[in-house]
Amino acid sequence: MSFVKSLAGAALILAFTQGCVVSRANVGEPIQEETLSHIKKGVTPMAEVVSLIGAPDRIVRGNDREIFHYYYYDAKSPGLFLLLINLIHMDVKSDNLYVFFNKSGIAEEVVYGKRTDRTQFRLWPFGE
Amino acid sequence: MASPASPVTMAITAVCLIILCTGCSVRRVVYNTIITTEDVHFIHPGQTTMLTVVGKLGAPDEMTESESGVVALYNWSDTKSAAMDFGALPRLFLPYTPSMTLNKTGIVPEQFLVVFDPEWTVRAYGFSRWPKEHPVIWFWPF
Repeated sequence: MSFVKSLAGAALILAFTQGCVVSRANVGEPIQEETLSHIKKGVTPMAEVVSLIGAPDRIVRGNDREIFHYYYYDAKSPGLFLLLINLIHMDVKSDNLYVFFNKSGIAEEVVYGKRTDRTQFRLWPFGE
Repeated sequence: MASPASPVTMAITAVCLIILCTGCSVRRVVYNTIITTEDVHFIHPGQTTMLTVVGKLGAPDEMTESESGVVALYNWSDTKSAAMDFGALPRLFLPYTPSMTLNKTGIVPEQFLVVFDPEWTVRAYGFSRWPKEHPVIWFWPF
């Protein structure tokens, strides 16, 4: 009897999730926040930053300084493909880390912004 | 006093709603959070520093160098796409699959940029052109 119940339960779950699509996409590797505390302003050299966080995704020059840019993107996208109606919503957010080096190649400033913790699996495409 | 709707009325309403939504496809892609003019009221050129801007708005998505100084760019977008397939309902009854779809997609990339002087103080800032708000469902392509 319990087998029949389990089978019925599974069939019910399958019936209710028909047409559901759940996708997730990432670009790059998440930035390890704990390693950022090891970067000491005015002390940590470029080579140590690279060994701690890895090679930057981009190198920018600004105000005669080298700026290492690391980024990470996270996208969550649920969809509902029914016989008559389709709904798809995708939420994409990015994390960005900038390490500013002075002319001697010593870390001068660290700027980090995390948004991916607010990425949501939200199906309803209406509203804000 | 209004009498409660009969089951027949409710069933007819439900069928009408289903027919109305038949073939409807709604897609939305939201990239990053929107920055509004209220969010940037704290910025005063010549006074506000890069660390204050980053503290309030987060790290920018891009940094580039221009002749006026380093430019920090914050990007976001809200892409709305809707389609109506008028062949969806007949498909349920006909042996072949007719298709007559109208689709419209509005990709609206927006930007907020801040220009810093060599002392990392804000020199100028501004938004990309403000687009008018588009409805989520708007499939008419003409």
